[in-house]
Amino acid sequence: MKATILYEDGDHRWIMFGRDPGTSDTIVDTNQYLIQSGDEAILLDPGGTELFAPMLSAVLKYVPAEQLTRLFASHQDPDIISSLGLWDQALDHATLYAPDIWEGFIRHFGMTRTRYHAIPDEGMSLTLGRITLQFVPAHYLHSPGNFHVWDAKAGILMSGNVGGTMEGKGAPIWVEDLDRHLPKMARFHQRWMPSEPAKQDWIRRVSGLGIKIMAPQHGSLLKGAQVDGFLRWFEQLKIGSAVGSSLR
Amino acid sequence: MSAPVFVTAAGISAELHQAMMEARGLALTAKNARALAVRAGSRTVGFRAITDFIEELASNIISQSRIINNHAEALSNTAVNAWRTEQAYRRLAAICASDADHKASVEPQAQRCGQQLDELQTELQQGLRYLLDQLEESRKHMRTANLIATSSNVEAATAGDFREQLQVIADNIRATADRIGGHLNQASRLLNHNHRERQSA
Repeated sequence: MKATILYEDGDHRWIMFGRDPGTSDTIVDTNQYLIQSGDEAILLDPGGTELFAPMLSAVLKYVPAEQLTRLFASHQDPDIISSLGLWDQALDHATLYAPDIWEGFIRHFGMTRTRYHAIPDEGMSLTLGRITLQFVPAHYLHSPGNFHVWDAKAGILMSGNVGGTMEGKGAPIWVEDLDRHLPKMARFHQRWMPSEPAKQDWIRRVSGLGIKIMAPQHGSLLKGAQVDGFLRWFEQLKIGSAVGSSLR
Repeated sequence: MSAPVFVTAAGISAELHQAMMEARGLALTAKNARALAVRAGSRTVGFRAITDFIEELASNIISQSRIINNHAEALSNTAVNAWRTEQAYRRLAAICASDADHKASVEPQAQRCGQQLDELQTELQQGLRYLLDQLEESRKHMRTANLIATSSNVEAATAGDFREQLQVIADNIRATADRIGGHLNQASRLLNHNHRERQSA
């Protein structure tokens, strides 16, 4: 499992995990993120069951299990959180932060020791060590109950499926050329994202944040001016492409 | 409750990763020591010879740590599979023991699951034993490291004007060796604790 430090300022750190060479090519490649501040840590979208063992090994290289007491699931998909039953065995006193509407569904992955902290539809803030994280609503992008994570101090938005591509393990960590990258994003966003009003509302809310790094759950990360370039492109993109496709 | 084997193996892998990073630092120290010894000339011939050993030691520790690290990661994966298979087996076995009308239709699957679990448990046992052996092997490197640190101190004492600088390097070697030893000890503790728990279970 490849680990990339995205941000480091004293004991405040963002680490991205992904591109695991041992994972089968038949499953979707995913990015996982660990945020540390002080002696606290949270793992964002821990990944699927198939990824659990390399993820745990990779995470423990940076943080002892007793400091990892928080998990976050942006939504309910298996590539996001189907490893829950295993994290449930690995971590003591852990809390999972996940959308309120998915609680009864996510529990199907198995959790007997972990506490479920339901994130209300309007979002919430979380203090982690010396920083404050915001769980930003991103409903219908793509899941009906969906959150992103905003770290104002680091300027990083973990943007779930938004800004992602399905490029597989060969994808570079950072987008090298946005103009060449955008076409790779098109189908994923058009097919997975269903709601135009939700999209516009999300763009309006995140445009003013001052995002330095946009970190999606799939594919390469965007930074600096690429973020604004993506937002302007996304604003114009027609989404919900499957509607009516069976009638044609 | 003891930690599941997959957590123990991942923990060992993490400790060995740290040891590997320290060993890389040791290799760098050896290069610095060599450069200094060359500048110091004839008075540090002994120290210069030692730097070869330090580099070789660092290289050995790095490769040994990499082997253990990779093995521990693979073992963690096997342990996850064993845990998942065990969960499935327990459920299938419960159905086979019930009065379900068609329970016979899952008996072959239960049997296959049981066999797979036995195989994975055997693989785990063998893997854990191998890890113990490899960690024991690593201890030999630590003994060598301590000998080198002691020799470095002795050689530094006779290095005239360079004494102070070589002393710093010698101290650095000992401190790094101690930290590597600490990671190996912690890995052994994790493994032995898990081994005892499994034997008493």
